[in-house]
Parts: sequence; C-alpha cells; structure tokens
Amino acid sequence: MHSTADIPAPDAIAADGLHKRFGAVRAVRGVSLTVARGEIVGLLGPNGAGKSTTMRMLAGFLPPDEGRVRIGGFDTLSDSIEARRRIGYLPESTPLYPEMTVAGLLEFRARLAGVPRRRRADAIGRAIERCWLGEVARRRVGTLSKGYRQRVGLAAAILHDPPALLLDEPTNGLDPAQISAMRGLMRDLAADRALVVSSHILAEVEKTCGRVVVIAGGRVRADGPIGALARAGEAACLIEVRIGPGDADDLTRALASLAGVSRAAPVGLEANGSPWRRWRLEGGPDARGLAERAGALLASRGVPLRELRPEEPTLERAFLDLIGRPEDKDDPA
Amino acid sequence: MTAALAIARREFAAYFRTPLGWVVIALYLALSGVVFALAVLAPAAPASMRPFFGLSGWVLLFVAPAVSMRLISDEIRSGTIEPLMTAPVSDWAVMAGKLAAALAFLVALLAPTGVYVAVLERVSDPDLGPVLAGYLGLALAGALYLSVGAFFSTLTGSQTLAYLGALFTLLLVRLATGEGVAGRAPDAVADALYAVSLDRRLGAFAAGVVDTADASFFVVASAWLYVLSVIALQSRRWR
Repeated sequence: MHSTADIPAPDAIAADGLHKRFGAVRAVRGVSLTVARGEIVGLLGPNGAGKSTTMRMLAGFLPPDEGRVRIGGFDTLSDSIEARRRIGYLPESTPLYPEMTVAGLLEFRARLAGVPRRRRADAIGRAIERCWLGEVARRRVGTLSKGYRQRVGLAAAILHDPPALLLDEPTNGLDPAQISAMRGLMRDLAADRALVVSSHILAEVEKTCGRVVVIAGGRVRADGPIGALARAGEAACLIEVRIGPGDADDLTRALASLAGVSRAAPVGLEANGSPWRRWRLEGGPDARGLAERAGALLASRGVPLRELRPEEPTLERAFLDLIGRPEDKDDPA
Repeated sequence: MTAALAIARREFAAYFRTPLGWVVIALYLALSGVVFALAVLAPAAPASMRPFFGLSGWVLLFVAPAVSMRLISDEIRSGTIEPLMTAPVSDWAVMAGKLAAALAFLVALLAPTGVYVAVLERVSDPDLGPVLAGYLGLALAGALYLSVGAFFSTLTGSQTLAYLGALFTLLLVRLATGEGVAGRAPDAVADALYAVSLDRRLGAFAAGVVDTADASFFVVASAWLYVLSVIALQSRRWR
C-alpha cells in the first residue's frame, strides 16, 4: 500500500521546547505541542499563564528564546515567509484598522497574504459569507460592535485558506448567541485545518475542542482528549449512613484509612435531629473503585446505608487541580 | 511587490481618512501662501520662488516627521503590527510600502503650491529652471526628513516620541551643519560639517543649481535610513 508518495505530511503545527522570557519574567518555559489537520486544540490556562506568548511564538510574531516552531514543516524563523503563508492568526483583542471598510480591509489583507488577483474576489466573498459579514461589508470597521470586529478579524485570518489557524481568545467579549455561532464556525473551519484556540474559559474549550492543552506558569500541565483530562481529576464519593451517637469520629477514621482515600470528612449539619449523617470521601487521580470499597467497609461494620453516590470527576476540578499545582522548585533558572 | 503596493495604498488612503492629512496640508498651504504673497509677490521683488523654497525647506523639517511618525508607531500602539508582521511579507516590503505612501503624501502636499508658480507666471516672467530645481530639492530633502521620522517610528508605539525624536535629530543636524555653527568651528571640523550640511545643499537647489552630489547625498542618506528602519523593524523579531 505504501509508496514513496505516502511520506506522511508534516504536522500542521509543531512546536518544540519553547521558552520565552521578558526581563525577569519567564513567560513560557518549555512548551511543546503538535497539532494535526482536522484537530481543534484548546489552549487553556488562567490569565497570565503564557497563552498569548505561546500563540505569538506559534504565529512567528515573537521569536522563542529556545525551541522552534514549524508550520507545515517550515521553521517560523529560518523559513519565516513560507511558514507565514500557512498561518492564519487572530491576535488577542483583534487589532484592525478602524478607518477602513470591512470589504476594503479584507481586500488589503488578501493582497498582504498573497492571494492571487484572480482568486481574490472569490476568497473575500467566501470569507464574508462564512463569517456572516454580508450586511456590514460596506461599514467602517471602527463603527462595528465587538462581535462583528471579531468576525472581521477571523475572516481576515482565513482569506488565504491557511492549513494552520491560531485564534487567541476568539470568543472574548462576545454574547452567548455570538459565542455559539463562533463555535460552529470553528468546528466548520477545523474540518481540514489544524486549529489552536486559546481561552481562559473552561466551558468554552470543553464545547469546541477535542483536545485540551492546559498551560499554567508557562508550562504544559496536561495535554490530551477532554475525557482523559477529566478522568485525571480526583474521584470522590458521597455516603449517607445512620450512626449512633459518638460513632462519628470512629467512622471518619475508618473511612480515611481506606485504600485510595486521601480525605474523609463529614459534611452537613450534625444536630438536626436526624440520625442520618453524610460523609464525603476524596481520592487521588487513581482512586478507582472508591465507592465499592466504602460500601464494603460499611457493610462489614453493619452500618445502615441510605445513599452511596460516586461523584464523576469533572473537567473543572481537573483544571483547577492542574493549574493550582505548585511550581517545580528545582528547575534551573 | 503586490504587498508593498497594498501597504502603500492603504497607508496613503489612511492620511485622508483621518484628520491628520488634511490638517497638515491646510496648515502648510496657509503658511506657504502667506510667504508667497508677502515675499514672492512683493513689489520690486525678483521674479523668483526662492523665498518660498527657503521657507518650505524649514517648514518641511517640522511637517515631514509629523507625516511619517505614524507609519510604524500606530501599528505598534493599535496592535495591527501583529497581523502585519505575521503576513507572508518581508520587512523590506513593509517599510518600502510605508515610505512610498509618505512620499506620495509629500507630493500631494507640494502639488497645490504649483498654483503659486502659475500666479507668478501671470504677473512676471520667472525662469522655470530654478523653480523645478527648487521643487526637486524640496522633494529630496522631504524624503530624507520623512525617512528620519519613519526610522524613529519603528522604535516606539508613541507617535509623540517618534515625532520629537525625529524633529530634534533633524534640528540638531541642520543647525550644527549650518552657517552659524559650522562657520565658527575649526577648519577641519567645519569641512566635515559642511560636507553633510543640509542648508548648503538646499540653498543650491533653491538657487537653481542641480548638483548630482547634492542629489545623491539626499538619496543615499534616505536609503540608509530605510535600511536602518528595516533593521529596527526586524529587531522586533529577535526580542
């Protein structure tokens, strides 16, 4: 089946060991990332995590201090122009020329991107249609709402049909309807492109991206499919049992000593007249079977059980856990 | 080439879509109009545009940096430098497009003063040779002034800083190489200062003397500033 023509195409986006510092601030410290066509990768992290700096290095706007970026196999520094031909980049806050009309701006950006004259009108028409800009095509960019400006920025970024698209906070400042429309557009665009979307909003990434890269403190904390990332979060389970007076501390100790339990604590009020009390058990990332073990323990002690509910690990908890992790102390300066 | 032209066209149009272009043209025409009416059209004055060229040589020193201060500074301040520098366009083409737009604006600024020549033609009989030479001198000196402004504009996102940097540099060079300073300096220093004297070369053009050395001085100096600007622009990619 394999002939010499089947040499695999280089990854649309391949970043290797990126470092960037601004004075004393080490904004990015060793970010590696590869994205294939057809993939939407969410670059997720709190504000100041190094997302925009990473995006700027991927786009070839900032040179990395260390490491390299290749777009479709072309190095953003040594083969800069070829790499830039293959990138569509929507910078954070969507900088545009306010005095130009939408159509004029797209015409300008098409020339800049090297779209040949005979294909220009077609490319502009398609971008206008894709980003629903038809009704504002003759308006000046400076008079448009934030949502429209964001779409103009996106239209300008896809004019030359780039295989790699970098969108830095594309839904920032949009209303819910616009966010939903933007999401659909991104999925549509990703069909034959590599797409990197940065965001500090978890729900955003969860709904659009097949894969999430969590960045915090300038490092990649996690990289994988959404589901796997969520499973990496802590498992937990909630139990509700009836106990006699004075048995609470004893049961807490017994639950805490179960394998895989990192914390066991009663929850809710004690003196509400009801003999039913609840405990919450938290386990580490690998605490599979937590609920089963808790159930077995309670059965062996003959404690009446009314509720036993394993809590699904959520992406949100996984995310908070990842970005809250203290920075490594021993890294060389 | 397409990209450089696209940049030049956008930039040139921007001068007229913002008040800056109109204000600069209006002020320049008002000022030069007064000088033309009072000095050139004065009774018994020789039929010559020399007072107009003398004044314009000075006014352009203040006006040209205001024309080119925005070229890169505005892109840095507004963030449009990001799409510009991530487009598949070389920094040489970006800067060439920018400078071409500023030069075209300079021509648009000087063109209406052709009316003065027409008026002078009606009332007397000026020699057109020195007039053309004077305009050539203004365009060449203007190109140099614009290039200085463009260079400073690559260094900062503040148009004010870019303007002041360019203006003070130009004032320093023009005054230091003028008669007042160079004339009192020791001979060796004076020769060096006269060699780069803007006054002397501009004066020659205004007098109708087109010397290739003078013309190449402005062209070469502008070209060097173009190269410096591109290097300054590129250095953003190393930082």
